[in-house]
Amino acid sequence: MMGTMRQDFGAAAMALVPRGMDPLYTALSLFRRRRFEDCVTVCTMLLEKNPYDQAAWTLKMRALTEQLYVDEVDVDEEGIAEMLMDDNAIAEVARPGTSLKKPGTSSGGPSPGVRPTSQSGRPLSGFVRPGTQGGRPGTMEQAIRTPRTAHTARPVTSASGRFVRLGTASMLSSPDGPFINLARLNFHKYAARQSLAKPLFEYIFHHENDVRNALELAALATEEAQFKDWWWKVQLAKCYYRLGLFRDAERQLKSALVQQVMVDTYLYLCKVYVRMDQPLTAIEVFSQGLEHFPGEVSLLTGIARIYDGLNDSTNAVKFYKEVLHHDNTHVEAIACIATHHFYTDQPEIALRFFRRLLQMGVYNSELFCNIGLCCFYAQQYDMTLNCFERAIALASDENMADIWYNIGHVALGIGDIALAYQCFKLALASNNDHAESYNNLGVLEWKKGRVEQARAFFQTAQMLAPIMFEPHYNFAALSEKLGDLQSSYIAARKSVESFPEHMDSNSLLKQLKDHFAML
Amino acid sequence: MLVPIFTLKLNHKINTRMLTIGCYDGQHPCLTAATTAGKVFIHNAHNRGIASGRMSVSGENSDISLLNIQQAVSAVSAGKLDPTSNCDSLLVGTQTNLLAYDVINNSDLFYKDTPDGVNAVVVGSLGTVEMPLAVVGGNCAIQGFDLEGNDVFWTVTGDNVCSLALCDFTNDGKMELIVGSEDYDIRVFQDDEIIAEMTETEAITLLCPMMHSRFGYALANGTVGVYDRTARYWRIKSKNQAIAIHAFDLDSDGVPELITGWSNGKIDARSDRTGEVIFKDNFSVSLAGIVEGDYRMDGKTELICCAVDGEVRGYLPASRDLKGNLMDTNTEQDAVRELSQRKQNLLLELKNYEENARAAQSNRPSGLGGMDTGQMGIIPANTQLQTSLTVDPGDEKHPPHVELFVATTNETILRTALIFAEGIFEGESHVVHPNVNNLSSELKVPITPPKDVPVDLHIKAFVGMKGSTQFHVFEITRQLPRFSMYIPCAKLPQEPQGTVTFTVQERVQRVVLWINQNFLLTDEWPAGAPLHFQVVSLRGTGALVIHMEGNGQVTIKTDDMDLAGEVIQSMAVFLGIEDLQVTSDFPGYMEELKNILIKVDEFSSVRQKLTAEMADHSNLIRSMVVRAEDARILADWKNMRKYYMELFDLNRDLINGYKIRCNNHTELLSCLKLVNQAIQRAGRLRVGRPKTIVVNACREAFKTHNIDALFKIMKVGAT
Repeated sequence: MMGTMRQDFGAAAMALVPRGMDPLYTALSLFRRRRFEDCVTVCTMLLEKNPYDQAAWTLKMRALTEQLYVDEVDVDEEGIAEMLMDDNAIAEVARPGTSLKKPGTSSGGPSPGVRPTSQSGRPLSGFVRPGTQGGRPGTMEQAIRTPRTAHTARPVTSASGRFVRLGTASMLSSPDGPFINLARLNFHKYAARQSLAKPLFEYIFHHENDVRNALELAALATEEAQFKDWWWKVQLAKCYYRLGLFRDAERQLKSALVQQVMVDTYLYLCKVYVRMDQPLTAIEVFSQGLEHFPGEVSLLTGIARIYDGLNDSTNAVKFYKEVLHHDNTHVEAIACIATHHFYTDQPEIALRFFRRLLQMGVYNSELFCNIGLCCFYAQQYDMTLNCFERAIALASDENMADIWYNIGHVALGIGDIALAYQCFKLALASNNDHAESYNNLGVLEWKKGRVEQARAFFQTAQMLAPIMFEPHYNFAALSEKLGDLQSSYIAARKSVESFPEHMDSNSLLKQLKDHFAML
Repeated sequence: MLVPIFTLKLNHKINTRMLTIGCYDGQHPCLTAATTAGKVFIHNAHNRGIASGRMSVSGENSDISLLNIQQAVSAVSAGKLDPTSNCDSLLVGTQTNLLAYDVINNSDLFYKDTPDGVNAVVVGSLGTVEMPLAVVGGNCAIQGFDLEGNDVFWTVTGDNVCSLALCDFTNDGKMELIVGSEDYDIRVFQDDEIIAEMTETEAITLLCPMMHSRFGYALANGTVGVYDRTARYWRIKSKNQAIAIHAFDLDSDGVPELITGWSNGKIDARSDRTGEVIFKDNFSVSLAGIVEGDYRMDGKTELICCAVDGEVRGYLPASRDLKGNLMDTNTEQDAVRELSQRKQNLLLELKNYEENARAAQSNRPSGLGGMDTGQMGIIPANTQLQTSLTVDPGDEKHPPHVELFVATTNETILRTALIFAEGIFEGESHVVHPNVNNLSSELKVPITPPKDVPVDLHIKAFVGMKGSTQFHVFEITRQLPRFSMYIPCAKLPQEPQGTVTFTVQERVQRVVLWINQNFLLTDEWPAGAPLHFQVVSLRGTGALVIHMEGNGQVTIKTDDMDLAGEVIQSMAVFLGIEDLQVTSDFPGYMEELKNILIKVDEFSSVRQKLTAEMADHSNLIRSMVVRAEDARILADWKNMRKYYMELFDLNRDLINGYKIRCNNHTELLSCLKLVNQAIQRAGRLRVGRPKTIVVNACREAFKTHNIDALFKIMKVGAT
């Protein structure tokens, strides 16, 4: 059985190689045309003929790696474990505006009354990327529960999960077991040969996902290169970063930058600083990078993202604009600027930016939903419902609730309470954890005079999104009306906790305190 | 009477000697100290002023912020590293790293590996270096980092550094670095050159600059004192340990006093001139540190003392009308008491003389009996005390030693001899009092000096007649030469392997003079053209041969590199040589060093593997904890139990790994220390400029792993 299979394998490979052409040359050509699977097949055939063919071996390694190659710089989300058991940040209570840990501490941030917050208390971002949705939950229970209720899946750790899955997936693709048996490799031998060591490292790191062995190889190789090859230093830093040894990663990256300035290295270094919760240092490093690479978009975007994380939207938008100045098709920058304008009461300008996105070929339900809202607030009512129709047509299960919720808002705006009620109900039908809809439904019920229902809705919303201040305040106001002063006081306290400047909550709290004092 | 103007409870433990104060925002001074579990806390009494926006910190500890260092902190300091701003930077040292941190911006200035550890940190400008430096003292090595984290200053010292201070030792307006180390030496560096060396009797735990070239010091045995350059003003010794010393002008007389905090909770202020106590106070527990700063923001500098339990007291300098009288006592009463005490003593003495005189004058038939003479303690007027020092090669019963022979010139006896000398005896002094039955007119005291240093022996002998009750005290001072533990020998048991060769522009006679002064010889060594002087060490470290040709070429042969260094340094001082380049060869030692360097490499690579393994494990543990908790919330008891069992095993593995890593680290550290010592030894073979060059070149070679170059530099010096 095995024999025939192998023969088939060989035959398939032979079919790929045109008559009279050198198989290795064909494999190289396939590799360049990014037909990696075919390239691997041809290389396997070559290796069967001559197991010591280094060229074929290297090419096969590279082809396998390319299939699974991910951009390490961008793809990274802090897992629950890292987030909760984080001891890399130096300052536990940093000065406001100097830490990513405490969102909403910066003074220049938008008020949650104007710009709604995500499930975890961060202002809504214009562009969803890893890390923008979650804040830092206080307790383990909260952390574990949040990803289940909201549509924000967060991996348990960044070390396991995705990376391990990538590794095991690759195992399946080779029926004869792994291509290279790492345990039997003599790293000393390979480290000495730079041309073999580099592809081998990438293979171990990306394909096998064996960071410890990759680290060992990189350490040997950098020593072999007499600590003069910046590439190895960056790779060492990658390994250290994966292992959570941020200080070592920082050291390697800095030393690599001394030898050779690279955008990638700067981005990596900033990632390290962000993980150590030193956003200001990261911004400084970005600025240093910009001195070497003026107008480099990825560096500018990095700065803007950090300001965004610090809730300093003024500076964030400034840098996003700078990004657009250099690259006018940058989706993230356009989206973020548009969102900023929308929430600063300039829907017409926001509309222009969203239209620009549409022109560039972004065609999804979120965009139509945003355009619809902009049209509504810019009083172009004829377009509004059109856009929402398209949004619903394009919507997936995940964002259906949000779209119905927004239509509900439009209905409230035109005073059609019945439609609004329907919309919120529909939002709950597609996602029964939609806290905002519960809250709004509660308000509607209250207006109708169904107090008990309203109370139940507010309580549900409170439980689902403890970080939102609206359900707390609404519940407090309702309880106060009903005479349940104790509950009212507790809820008002919570509301002030999540939005300290909320006038209504504060005055309610004061009123309650005066009342208690009188008793 | 001076009372604290403020007291605080910080409610955090403070590690001893790890307290500092810094103005991180350029305005508000903050007490900063290392506390338990690898954390540093910053007490900011004025943070209500800075807190803007929505920063809310919980209740009572609102003015304390904690910094995670993740490792045991070994030194904390604050100072201005950036000359352009007026904000202080915080420096935190651990056994492996130094972190310079900008507190107000929550960002690192630099984070550096210090494989030699960080035992002490000071910040300030040093010598001719323009930028302010963070000077770090580790195991045998001293490093200076500038704002960017470049190590612009590096040198080695004889042993682990315990304390550092910057002080204008030479009064030239530039700061010199004073280093106290575990080998009992205080060394003074001008830039990277040693300009003075003082030997103390214990490890120097603390140093503090006072005024001009004066500085205070404290030893591990409880001694505290003040030096002015190389001369010691005073010192006192206590059974408690000094935890902190600080110079502060408490009585407003314009001269700072030495404030000492003790391990039993006492603090006292002593006059820098005399060591007289002018003020004292008590804490209930041991002191942790003493700093000064304007903590109340009223423009006056207070002295701030902190105890280990977090109690803080601040003292303002006394106003001038107190006239330096800070204690709760009446000076006049004190003076009267002291004078009456003296009167009492004088009266007693007078009475004694009168009785003697009466005895001598009384006309008894038998004359003045021997009995009476004895009782009265009268001894012949020409009695003299003779001392001599000889080298005893030792036998089966006695180990080799230097013998101090004390004798009187006549039949009088020596009741007791009290020898006071630093660094030879345990506790500095030695008392010999023979049994009453075998009193004689001579005493032999064996001495074994542990180091090759010249020592003054202050001898006090009680001389009297047999059976006297009163004795005469003779005081005499003898100097023990530097190389006393060596005995000349005509035929060497074994020719030493190591050699040092150099040329001096001196006559042979001068070298012979040096030999006669520095060795304990029975007869003076004859001066002759090819000088060949050979001795054997009594400490069992082999022979020493000094050979000098008529043309000034000197060859020193010994297997002990330290000894060769000592000989060269001493000779250079005596002959007034400023720069001396030598060629040396110590085959045995070099072999040893080579092995050590190989070991260092091995340890480093093993360490990296272990680190990666541990990081991997800890990542796994984190995810396991989350999974286990997840199972708990879902009430999935079976899985929860499973996860926690796995967690337990993993944790045990991790702890084992940690132990292995600890051992590895300790061994690596001791190896690195040996390497640093080797560089120091190579430096000591040279004098002046060549010495500095050799030390720096060795460092460079070691850093770049160029072992052959390292050996070459050690042998022939650097160009």
